[in-house]
Amino acid sequence: MRSLLAIAAAFVTLPLAAASIDVRVQDARGGVMRDAVVYAVPEGRQLPLAKKTAVMDQKNRMFIPHVLAVQTGTSIRFPNSDDIRHHVYSFSPAKPFQLPLYKGTPANPLLFSKAGVVTLGCNIHDQMSAFIVVVDTPYFEKTDSGKATLSGVEPGRYSVRVWYPDMRDEPQPQTINVTGDERVAVSFVAGHAAAPPAADHQTHGHP
Amino acid sequence: MAIRSFQARLLILLIALLVLLEAGTLISVHLAGQRTLQRSIARELRVGANVLERVLDTRAKQLSDFLRVLAFDFAFREAIASGDQPTITSALTNSRSRIEADAVVLIGLDGTVTADTLGGRMAGRPFPFASLLKVAEERGEASGTVSFSGRPYQFVIVPVLGPRPIAWICAGFEIEERVLTDVRHLASLDVSIWTSSAGGMPALMSTLPPEERNDLVAQMSAMSNPLQPVETTMQLGNATYATLMQSLRTADGSRVNTLLQRDLEEARRPFATLELQIFALSALLLLVAVAAAVTFGRTVTRPLRVLAEGAGRIERGDYVSPIALKQQDEFGQLATAFNQMQSAIAAREDQIMFQASHDALTGLPNRTLFIDRLAQSIVAARRYGPSVGMIMMDVDRFKDINDTLGHHFGDQLLIEIGRRLEQTIRASDTVARLGGDEFAVKFTADNAEHAAQVAVRVSTAFDAPFVLGDVSIDVNASLGIALFPDHADDPDTLMKRADIAMYDAKKNHSEIAIYEPGRDEHSIRRLSLMMELRQAIARDELELYFQPKIDVVSERVVHAEALIRWNHPKHGVMRPDEFIPLAEQSGKISLVTKWVIRNAIRQCAEWKRNGIDLTVAVNLSALDLFDSELPTFITGLLSDAGVAPEKLMLEITESAIMKDATYAQRILADMKRRGICLAIDDFGTGYSSLAHLKRLPVDELKIDKSFVLNLTESATDDLVIVRSTIELGHNMGLVVIAEGVETSESWDILKRLGCDMAQGYYMSPPLPAKKFGEWLESSRWGNGESSRA
Repeated sequence: MRSLLAIAAAFVTLPLAAASIDVRVQDARGGVMRDAVVYAVPEGRQLPLAKKTAVMDQKNRMFIPHVLAVQTGTSIRFPNSDDIRHHVYSFSPAKPFQLPLYKGTPANPLLFSKAGVVTLGCNIHDQMSAFIVVVDTPYFEKTDSGKATLSGVEPGRYSVRVWYPDMRDEPQPQTINVTGDERVAVSFVAGHAAAPPAADHQTHGHP
Repeated sequence: MAIRSFQARLLILLIALLVLLEAGTLISVHLAGQRTLQRSIARELRVGANVLERVLDTRAKQLSDFLRVLAFDFAFREAIASGDQPTITSALTNSRSRIEADAVVLIGLDGTVTADTLGGRMAGRPFPFASLLKVAEERGEASGTVSFSGRPYQFVIVPVLGPRPIAWICAGFEIEERVLTDVRHLASLDVSIWTSSAGGMPALMSTLPPEERNDLVAQMSAMSNPLQPVETTMQLGNATYATLMQSLRTADGSRVNTLLQRDLEEARRPFATLELQIFALSALLLLVAVAAAVTFGRTVTRPLRVLAEGAGRIERGDYVSPIALKQQDEFGQLATAFNQMQSAIAAREDQIMFQASHDALTGLPNRTLFIDRLAQSIVAARRYGPSVGMIMMDVDRFKDINDTLGHHFGDQLLIEIGRRLEQTIRASDTVARLGGDEFAVKFTADNAEHAAQVAVRVSTAFDAPFVLGDVSIDVNASLGIALFPDHADDPDTLMKRADIAMYDAKKNHSEIAIYEPGRDEHSIRRLSLMMELRQAIARDELELYFQPKIDVVSERVVHAEALIRWNHPKHGVMRPDEFIPLAEQSGKISLVTKWVIRNAIRQCAEWKRNGIDLTVAVNLSALDLFDSELPTFITGLLSDAGVAPEKLMLEITESAIMKDATYAQRILADMKRRGICLAIDDFGTGYSSLAHLKRLPVDELKIDKSFVLNLTESATDDLVIVRSTIELGHNMGLVVIAEGVETSESWDILKRLGCDMAQGYYMSPPLPAKKFGEWLESSRWGNGESSRA
């Protein structure tokens, strides 16, 4: 895989001491990546947990949104907007859980306190899947047209990372220093461009 | 050996054709069967290969479905996701028993085995069938045949979803004999399968019977394992197998060899049955055809045989039994034609037999049949007695009748004679015409007397005159009788003796004569005389006698008739009627005639020298009239002897002249021209017409002695004949002479009737020359004075 790590130019912005990080994510062919989550994890310090609530809705036998990014400590509700029952589950180590067959909104939201990707499924409807990307930073964003901007980033040293569905090898995190009011640009190339399929995959040896 | 019967040939031809046809059919059926069998076996093997593939595929799909259902089990996924090794292993084990797999392996997304049901043997190592895993990663699942623990396995891989793949679960199923049995049931082929991996005796699975299976194991190592299917035949145990050999390429690169086999014997069985059926059918057809041919052949050959037998019967002369063939077809027509031919042949043969044995003119049996019947009667008489008699007869003067009244008349007369003769005899007797005017009668007789009575009865046939058309004629016959066994022992001799008796009758003017024993010697004498006649001339045994012819008016001898005598050394003096007919028959008459003429002329000349003036008369035979040299011969003799021609008189009988009147007339005219005198002898016995007589250049007419011998004043008939003959002669200017004058009474009558000359015993019998001379000297007739005058 070509390492296309680009050197991002750092711009010193306002003395308000809040910087913005512009992140661009492309696939191996230069196409835009949708539903990629970019986030900057501060190095050497712990930022306070979020006390927020998010929603992962189920509508028309789909999880909406398909990719949901939250900061650790966020509570997520799983309302069922369909008139059929769903059985939402996760085998992901970051948050294994299940919500056996229910309709409407469960009484309590679930707290996601551990960073990691939680893959969601419905035990009734195999085709339903969604991802909750739990990050240890308040600075995260889903790309739109391959671009996302992390804004209001306090000065400090950050490791900028990216995640996208069905990612195999995470692109190299990029470490940046944010000193003040500035705009930093970071670029990623999604590394799992599909390899050309193998020519011969006979399984029985017949011609 | 040549086949001669038509039926057999027909049969052989038909059978040969049928056998050829059926053999052709059988061969083509066999060949077609073989081809079909080969094609069908090849197809069966290919189908079998497909079936095997399909069975394996289906099984793989089935296994894969089992596994997928398992992998979707929430609790199982939960257990896998728990990451707890013992839990995972136990879940795998549980799953293995659920889907009856032989092995279940859990593989991480990185391709490393995380757990297995093989006691963790594979855990922590990369999954050995990487290519299979790769297919699963690309297609979401994979299945393949592999060689595992030296055995053929089917492995299937499906993902464990959460809902994204969190791991791969792989299940292995050994390919059991049951699978092969399924294929065998589906494809009716024997299936064998084994893996070839490095080292160790590979395990064989096969549906073959144990013996063949062992044989296959023995041959396995020597077999190549082609990737491409190869069709061949293999000898396993006692059976021959059509074989399709191929290798499955497995997921791990090892080989799984398969054999699909068809027992040729078994495959051929339906064809063999079919061939057997066709063969049986052919044999049946052949039998039916032969039966039909035999039947048909009989309908053809039976009438042929009947016809052939019928023809054979006809050939053997059986004209009685007809061919019994009551058919309306051509054979029937042929049989009818045969039968008609048979009766026609019979009729014709009867006719021929009749013609061969009967006289065409009278319809009486002929000589052949007569002799035949005579012989039969003699045979019968030898056994049963008493005697067989036969009469030989001929019609007197038939030749004259025939010449005078024509052949047609003669024929009619013969027919009438035959008819009358038949009326005189009994049915058991036979009348036959032996030829010419010769008839014969055969009869049974008790004795000679009886035979004579029969002959008398037969002779009554000639009693009445025969009236044919306008002519009424009296016919006489001479009958000679001979008897078996009195006179002869065999038919030939009997006939000969009857013949002799007949001549006796003729000679004696007795009408009927019975054979007198010893008469045969006379007959033999006649035969030898004929041969001795020529020698007689040389030995000077012949002698001339002379009988005077007296002039009635002058009562003096004027002529001397020369009559020949044979002084035979054994038989004594023989009269001309004893040997002249023989001379005539043997063609020696000319010699005799010439001898007579020569000696007569010599005597005449001698008389002349002695002063005796006599005309010498010589008798000519009828045959002499055909000798055209004779006049010249006579003239020569006369001039040599110095005798005047008119001193020689030739006497020719009336019947001799009438034999060929025209020719006789010519030669007589020649004689006359030469000055020779001519006389008609035996006048009155022939049938000469006056017209003929008139034309003849004769000088003298001699009345037959039969009219003169008994000439008396009371013999009215003879008297009339003699008188009218004298008148006739005189009227024609001829000198008339009567012979047979034996009494003074007849001499006187002749003298009164004006007859010119007379001759007979009354004057003198014929005398030798010397005695004639003495007679001339002494007799009153021979008064030399008048003659010398």
